[in-house]
Parts: sequence; structure tokens; C-alpha cells
Amino acid sequence: MILFTLKRFALALLILFVAVTVMFLMIRAVPGDPVQIMLGPRATPELQAQLTAALGLDQPIWKQLLIFYGNLVQGDLGTDVFSGRSVTSIVFQQLPFTLELIFASILWSATLGIALGAYAAAHPNTLIDRVAAAISVSFVAAPAFVVALLALLVFAVHLQWFPAIGAGEGFWDRLDHLILPAFAIGLSWVGYIARLVRASMLEVMGENHVRTARAFGIAERRVVLVYALRIAILPVVTVIGVGMGFLLSSAVFAEIVFARPGLGKLVIDSITTRNYPIVMGSVLISTALFVVSTALADLINALLDPRARTAH
Amino acid sequence: MKIEWIKAPIGRRNFLKGATALGAASALPMGWANRVMAADDGVLRVRSYSDLRSLDPAYSGGAFDEEMHACIYNKLIQFKPGDEWGWQLDAASMIEQVDPTHIKFALRDDIGFTNGFGPMTAEDVKYSFERIIDEEIDSTNKPDMGSLSHVEVTGEREGTIVLNEAFAPLWSIALPYITGNIISKAAAEAEGGKIGTDPVAESGPYLRDSWNPKEKTVLKRNPDWKGDTPAWDTIEIYPIDDENTAEIAFEAGEIDFTRVSLGAVERYREEVPNGGTLIEKPSLYYVWLGMNLDHPKLQNPKLRQAIQHAVDVPTILEAAYFSAAEPSTGIIAPGLAGNRAAGLVPPEANLEKAAALLAESGETNVTLTLDILNKNTYSAMAQVIQAMLAQIGVTVEINVLESGAFWASGDNEDLQMVLNRYSMTPDPYYATSWFTSDQAGVWNWERFRNDEFDEIHVQASQETDQGKRAKMYQRAQDLMEESGAYRFITHEATPVVHSSRVVPALRPDGLPLLRYFGKGF
Repeated sequence: MILFTLKRFALALLILFVAVTVMFLMIRAVPGDPVQIMLGPRATPELQAQLTAALGLDQPIWKQLLIFYGNLVQGDLGTDVFSGRSVTSIVFQQLPFTLELIFASILWSATLGIALGAYAAAHPNTLIDRVAAAISVSFVAAPAFVVALLALLVFAVHLQWFPAIGAGEGFWDRLDHLILPAFAIGLSWVGYIARLVRASMLEVMGENHVRTARAFGIAERRVVLVYALRIAILPVVTVIGVGMGFLLSSAVFAEIVFARPGLGKLVIDSITTRNYPIVMGSVLISTALFVVSTALADLINALLDPRARTAH
Repeated sequence: MKIEWIKAPIGRRNFLKGATALGAASALPMGWANRVMAADDGVLRVRSYSDLRSLDPAYSGGAFDEEMHACIYNKLIQFKPGDEWGWQLDAASMIEQVDPTHIKFALRDDIGFTNGFGPMTAEDVKYSFERIIDEEIDSTNKPDMGSLSHVEVTGEREGTIVLNEAFAPLWSIALPYITGNIISKAAAEAEGGKIGTDPVAESGPYLRDSWNPKEKTVLKRNPDWKGDTPAWDTIEIYPIDDENTAEIAFEAGEIDFTRVSLGAVERYREEVPNGGTLIEKPSLYYVWLGMNLDHPKLQNPKLRQAIQHAVDVPTILEAAYFSAAEPSTGIIAPGLAGNRAAGLVPPEANLEKAAALLAESGETNVTLTLDILNKNTYSAMAQVIQAMLAQIGVTVEINVLESGAFWASGDNEDLQMVLNRYSMTPDPYYATSWFTSDQAGVWNWERFRNDEFDEIHVQASQETDQGKRAKMYQRAQDLMEESGAYRFITHEATPVVHSSRVVPALRPDGLPLLRYFGKGF
């Protein structure tokens, strides 16, 4: 298990390195002079030259990359040219908003999705199963931004039950502000997880250990929840780990539609203004988030299912 | 520290009672009570299109920063709210232009800076203005100060602004806008000469209370402010770049004031939710179809004129602006010196004339690219233009660019046609400054070069006779249009909505002057 963990984190580091390097090169390949865009039309050539030098843009790209990694090793992600604040503090100020949104979305969608899937699998080909299937598929098909807009119009504008914009202050207010965006980006995951759990459960329900449990006269509820669901839930762990990337991109929509602070919105704004230090800082953190979550999912999988360890 | 844990006396009944109460409470929408009470809490909630960039006027990013600066700092003069451009005294108790290059001023004696930085003096004015033109500071707003030479301090609160040559925009840009904000010399120097995103010394009717990046900025009433008491205790500024989101937030009752999209105007004309009001103000922005005079495909003046006459501006406005904007006659908006009553080419297309001009040009099988920004408005405009030019046999290929790439088009020599939109301050000098010969390939994307135009740009900025000045700028726009490089489309419009709680104070172009906002019922 220790060797497996070490290998998995080495792979995570490699993925992180490749992703950040590719992003570093890509952002520089995008047309548009970052200095001109950042400073606007009225900057003097002297100021433009000063900022070019400050950002290291007068150096060859390979050297810029080396400087970036050199600073990164020392924990320095650079400074925002506009505000003079450190990129680390800017990124970490926004990160909690995105994390709380992602975790809230996962929490409610996984809870409901697993329950729905397990119930449908326990009652296959019944009316309930069919209704659950219809609901699941329609949830999967609902794009997050459409759900976000509809939820806003219904629950924030028409009914005025929930706030429309911002992230709130204090625990309850933040929770209040979290409900609609988390609902919007988690909804399609409910359907997806429900379908996944149902299919997995049906497969597990036919396996020997479940049949044996039934033969011993163990209560059906216990058979489903303990003997079948425990195994059937394994693919969900992997999917949630990989799904972090998907949820991060969905969070961008939610942050724009609900005018919430967050990492996604920070990245979009920074790319638009070619604010390289913030783009790289944000990408580094969000990639790390994705890589760590997939690695953790693999580890949890390996912990729950010894076959996964040997497969690696 | 020792923590002693005490077992709570919770029995089964108490637990059930508590759980039921909690369940009932959670069944209620959590923020409901807050949102109802928000109507009477003395907090003005407004939307800004961007987040704070800097509290230093020298590095202000534009109108979004100025909305805050104008609340926490003072200027000698401020814009006057209303439909006509004008100014009123602010920190100055007296200001007078004694000759074309000297402006005397005296400060009020009741304005002080926070954090113990003392009363506002003429030294602060000198420091604030001169640092804008200081090479060391390298302010991005330096052009706004025009021909400022220096400020002479003649007393503790008296001084004279000295210009190198007459500069008419001093009264419409330099003093009442971004560069006119007066900061504390002692405070700025203590910070090393540059202010970041935290206030070091404020003097306005409001103080910056908190800033949650990308979420909101909170301004609270300055308890030491001796001027007219502002109506609102607190102002919350929400940075929302998307207008549709802002509209939803307004309709949900969470903001009191916002600019809305032109597409929403018709809906709001019928009814503004929550008893609100729609105000439609003209805008200073200018939108035009430009043609690159250096491009080999656009060398023929008859071809350019054919394009000018083939483009039907009213149809574009209907398709892209939902008839909420009027056609423009140039780059200078109505209400400003130099606005033309009519352009040389009427807004309506004349396809017969366009076809005849194209025939005269001798050009056949013309295919041109049209670069646009990736926004719905520009896509709609481009498609209309594409259809119109197809009618005279000119094929248009639309090239959609994201904002970074689009705004870097200045040095793109392959640029052929472009749909462009520039912002503007309330002085024609600002508009013409982008179309001079030295701006060709920088912000003059059409590479329009005209000596007479360049001369007018310089001379008109020094002309203090408004009548003469207006004629000069009108001539400048004639020259632009005669070149065939421009088809002027619109100045757009600034539709804003506000709740019944608010009496907004707006510049003639619809931008908010938050410190003057009043209360409704």
C-alpha cells in the first residue's frame, strides 16, 4: 500500500508538472500583448517596458519557464501587477469559495444520487425504477448554466427565497448563498451518480456473496445497504475524484451567473486581462486540486478494494 | 488553556423538540428575514461592472475605480449630476481661471484626512496633481492632465495651477474626473509614493470599510465629514461584469441600482420590477465600422465609399441594439462641443449609390474580413453588415476574436475591416487623440493619417472659445468620414434601473455619482 501511495503521488506530481508547463506555454501562445492589455491604451512606452521587464516577458520563453519553476520551488507565485498583492494571497483568498461550492455540490448530489440509484436497483423494473431512471436521465441532460439561470429566476427573483448574488458573510449567510449554485452544478451529478450506482448495484446483487447473504436469511435492507452498496459504491468514488475537474469548470459558470467570488472567475478574468502571474497561480492550484482529488480517489479505491492495488 | 467539557442535559424529549425546531427553521428559506429587512437598513447597494483595481488615482483603471475614489477622496471640483455637463465646487471654496494658463484656487478649511494625516492643504493638491505627470510615477492617466506644468502653493490652502499652454479639457476631464482626486502627500509618501488597494488616508464623505475581492466593497459614512451629509449610511458596491446577472440581482431586490443591457430596455420600458424606474441616458461611447487604409484590398477610395453607403445603420441598431440606441454622426456624442448635427453619409443605406460607387471603383469579386469582439452585439452587427454588403456584391468573412486578441489588433497589418467601440470622457479632445497619425498602428487601427486632423487635435485642445472649438472638432470628423475609412454607427445608450428606495445622481452619460445618491420613500 505504501509503494502504491508513493507511485500514485509521483504520478500526480508528473501530471501537475506537465499540465502547468502546457498552460504556461499556451497562455503565451495566445495572441495579444499582455502588457498593452494590462496597462490599457494610455500607458507610456517607458511604463510598458518597465512592466515587460517586471514580468520577465523580455526573456526567452524557456528562461521564463525556468524562472517560474525556480520561484515556485521557493513558494513564490509572483505579484499582481495591478494591486501589488502577492498572487498566493489572491488565489488563496478565492479558493475557499470554490472549494465550498464544489464540496456542497458533491455532498448533496452524491447523497441523493446514491440513494436514488440504490433504491432503483433494489426495485428493478418497477414503476419506481422507471421514474427514477427518467428523473436521472433528465438531470444528466440539464446543463449547469441553464439550471443556474432557471433556479435564479424561480427561487431568487420570483419567490425571493434565496439570494441571487454574492457568497455571503458568516456561516448561515454563506450557506444560504451556497444553496442555489450548489443545486445548479450538482443536479446533473445526481442523475449521473444514480445511474452509475444502479448499474453497479445490479451487477453486485447477482454476485455470490449477496446470494449467500440472502440464503442465510439476512434482512433484505441489510443485504442491499451493507453487502451490495458497499461494493457498488466504489466506481462512484473514482468518478467523484475525476469529477472534480468537471465541477471546477461548472463552478466557473456558477461563479459568473451568481456573481460569486472564486477561483474559476479569477482565472477567466485573469486570462481576459492577460494577467500571467494570476493565471499561472490559479491554474497551478486548480490543477493541484484536481490531481490530488483523483489521487485520493485512487487511494480510497485501493483501500476499499485490494484488487485495485494489484491492478496498479 | 484548559477546556472543561460539560455534558449537556439533553433528554429524548428535548432532543426531539430541538430537532423539530431546527427542521422547521431549515424548512424556511434562510435569508428570507434578512432580505425583507434589507429594504430599510440604510444601505445603498449598487453594481459596478468591475472590481477595485487600485485606490491610487495615478493607477486608476477607469470609471469602476473612480466610483470609489469619488466617495473617499475629494477633488477641487466634481461633476454635477443632471442632463447637462457641468461642475460644482467640492474641496475648493473658490476656483478661477485668471488667464489661459493659470487657475487660482482656495481650499475649504474643513476637510481633513483620516489616520491622523491632518487637514487638506494646497501642498496635497500640488503633490496629487504633479505626481500624475511625474515621469517616475509613470501614471497611466497622465494624458488626462494634458499640459499641466506645476502647481504653485501660495498659502496653506491657496494655490495656482499652471499650464504650459491652454488646455480646455482641464475643466471637463482633469479636475472633475480621475486625476482630480486629492490624496494626502504625507500618507502617500509614507507608503513609498504609491497607494495599493488599502486606503491610507481618506477625506471624502465615505470611508472604505471593507473589500472582499470579486465580491463587494463596503463604504461607510465618514463621521468627520463636515460637508453636506450623504443620504446613505453605507454603500455596498458589487462587481458584476455580466449585465444579465446584474438584472437578475436587481429583480431579486438585492441591488438598488445597475446599468442594464440594451436588450432589456424594451422589457423595462413596460415595467420595472419592485416599483423601480428605468432611466435612459445617452452614452459617450462610440461604435464604428473601420477600414484599414494601409491594406492593399482597401486602397480604392470608391470601394470604401461604396461600403459606407451600403451599410444601413438603423437596421444595425434594430438588430443589435433593439432600437434602444440612436445613429451617431461621428466620434463626439451629442451634448459635447464638436458633435455634428449630421454626418456626410446619412445613416440610411443607399444601395443604388453604393452599387454605382463599386462599379466606378472597378473592383470585382471583393472579399473582405471583418474582425469583431466575441460579444453578441458585435456578432449581430457583423451579420447585418455581411448581409448588406452582399447586396452590392462584397463578400464579408467575419473573424470573431476574444477580448485579449481583439484589443491587440492595433499592430495587425492584415486587419481589413473592424467593428470597434471606444470609451470616452466628456471632452472631444479625448476622442480625437486616438486617430492622430502617431497613433496609426497603435489605437488608430484604420491607419488614418491626415495633417489637418493632427493640427486640429492640438489646436482645439488649446482653444477656449467653445464655439470655435466645436467647429474645429466638427471639421476633424468630416476629415475622418471623407477618408472613407469610417462608417459611424452609434454612441449606444446607458439604460439604468433603480429601486424606489433610491434617488440616483447621475452624470449626463448615466455614470453614477454615488456620494450624491439620495433616498426615495
